[in-house]
Amino acid sequence: MQSTPVNDVRLDEPILVVNDLTVSRSDKVVLKDVNLKVCKGEFVGLVGPNGSGKSTLLLSILGVLKIQKGSVKIYGQQPFSRASIGRIGWVSQAASNLPRDVRITVRELVRLGTLNGKNMFSWADNGRRERVNKAIKMVGLEDVENVDVSRLSGGQRQRAVIARALATEADFILLDEPLVGMDREARNSLLRLLDQLCHDSDKTILMVSHDLTAIRQTAHRMIFLEEKIRYDGPTEDFPDLESLAGLRGITHVHDEEHAHKHNNKMEVE
Amino acid sequence: MGIGSFLMAIFTPLMEFIAPLVPGEVFPYFFTMELFQRALLAAILVTIVAGFLGTFLLIRNLALIGDGLAHVSFGGVAVGIVLGASSPLWYALVFSITAAILIHELQSREILTGDASIAIFLTGMLALGLVTLRIGGGGITTDIEGYLFGNLLLIDEADLDLISLICIFSMLLLTFIRSGLLATTVDPLSARVQGLPVRGIGLLFSIITAAVVVSMVQVVGTLLVTALLVTPAATAQLVGRSFRSCLVWAQAFGLSSVLIGLYFSAEYDTGSGSMIALVAATIFSVVGLFKFLRPFFLSLFPTGKSSEPTE
Repeated sequence: MQSTPVNDVRLDEPILVVNDLTVSRSDKVVLKDVNLKVCKGEFVGLVGPNGSGKSTLLLSILGVLKIQKGSVKIYGQQPFSRASIGRIGWVSQAASNLPRDVRITVRELVRLGTLNGKNMFSWADNGRRERVNKAIKMVGLEDVENVDVSRLSGGQRQRAVIARALATEADFILLDEPLVGMDREARNSLLRLLDQLCHDSDKTILMVSHDLTAIRQTAHRMIFLEEKIRYDGPTEDFPDLESLAGLRGITHVHDEEHAHKHNNKMEVE
Repeated sequence: MGIGSFLMAIFTPLMEFIAPLVPGEVFPYFFTMELFQRALLAAILVTIVAGFLGTFLLIRNLALIGDGLAHVSFGGVAVGIVLGASSPLWYALVFSITAAILIHELQSREILTGDASIAIFLTGMLALGLVTLRIGGGGITTDIEGYLFGNLLLIDEADLDLISLICIFSMLLLTFIRSGLLATTVDPLSARVQGLPVRGIGLLFSIITAAVVVSMVQVVGTLLVTALLVTPAATAQLVGRSFRSCLVWAQAFGLSSVLIGLYFSAEYDTGSGSMIALVAATIFSVVGLFKFLRPFFLSLFPTGKSSEPTE
């Protein structure tokens, strides 16, 4: 592969491999021939406009959507198979993540991350308390660990949800729009946290966002998705807005053929 | 010896011990006479499970499923009575659990979303009961009223056996699955990714709910089941600061609703179910009002920290 500048990426350890994934939802093609490989230690930013298939890709990776054509492998296994379960830390949007009527403290929420199919009935601690403490410390919420999550700020709440994912001790963290509704300060400190998780705690991160600047600040590698992958490469080579429009095929002023050529030229293999 | 009589044997000495401290003229009978003791025991058992269950129902946005299943149970009771069953609650149990499983499947397979499936079963099974009553019932409608509005004093030994069995079994199961249940309630997708059996837990929870509702039918009545299932849990959400504290508060509000409700219903000779429901709703209103007005009270009495009042 070309110029990934990061030292601790292990290209020989693929964590996620997507091959020729095509997904249609209600007769409309949402993803077409998506090929993607994420290796251990990478911080990948997945960007794309609304309705570009980002969520569909995530749901396929999580194994929630049935795959019609192509394949998704996590650690070499089918998503949601016995062997891949518990190896993905999933961080959904904080705002839509928690039901409104629940009173639950940060600590109680993070503790839910330590559950799995085997230990959910067990009363024994088995180091779960320690895992919870560690996860809360990693996201810096020690001061508010006994506060009801609904009383926290948007940034803190998102950190709590991340701590829950960290408590699973998964190495591969998937984040869906973690920056929505956050002010600048909260956003920056969250990005710093993610950077630390990747570099210091050796986590592999795939973050979905439509905040281009944020992804540029942190990710090593960017993927632009709109039905298919239009760009996949180092962050610093990510095209400027004008070429991006070309990549996306927003060239209605030109004729079809011209647009197609333009597309092919710019696409990075 | 049934499980109900076993519990009675344990708790009657305790009740008789507190009896002299109990206020009122009629209310102390609940602690001294067997018929009333049985009623009190059933009410307390049911309230404890309902508070626990209700907290989860509330977060799962299923507040009204209790109401739906209660109507279904009533249909079951009616059919049971017409068929001459000695304990029609068993019929109610079969009806209620069947409906709960079907509602759960319809919702989780997204065949019918939201409350529509509850509405269909509520009316359909209730109608089945009413029609059966009309065709084969003759003059037994008076018996039925106890199930509509609740009549604690109609609880006989067999009923208490069934109620205790349901309550103890449900409570054990709920304690057993509580962490997984909370995880699947708070964020089903994350729970699934972690490998928790989300569907299995959901189904088990539906069955438990169905059984608990049946155990409540004689205590508060079909029409008022939601009062013990949801109101204490909802009041708890107003004051609780954590999930654990909400569970405790729900017990406190539920048990005080039952005790105060029974006291008033005994002293003023009203229906027990409706009085319990009324007290539960009153507690909710008072707590809610206090919470709403708290900033106002606090501003009336400034604490030491704030500067002198300007007036």
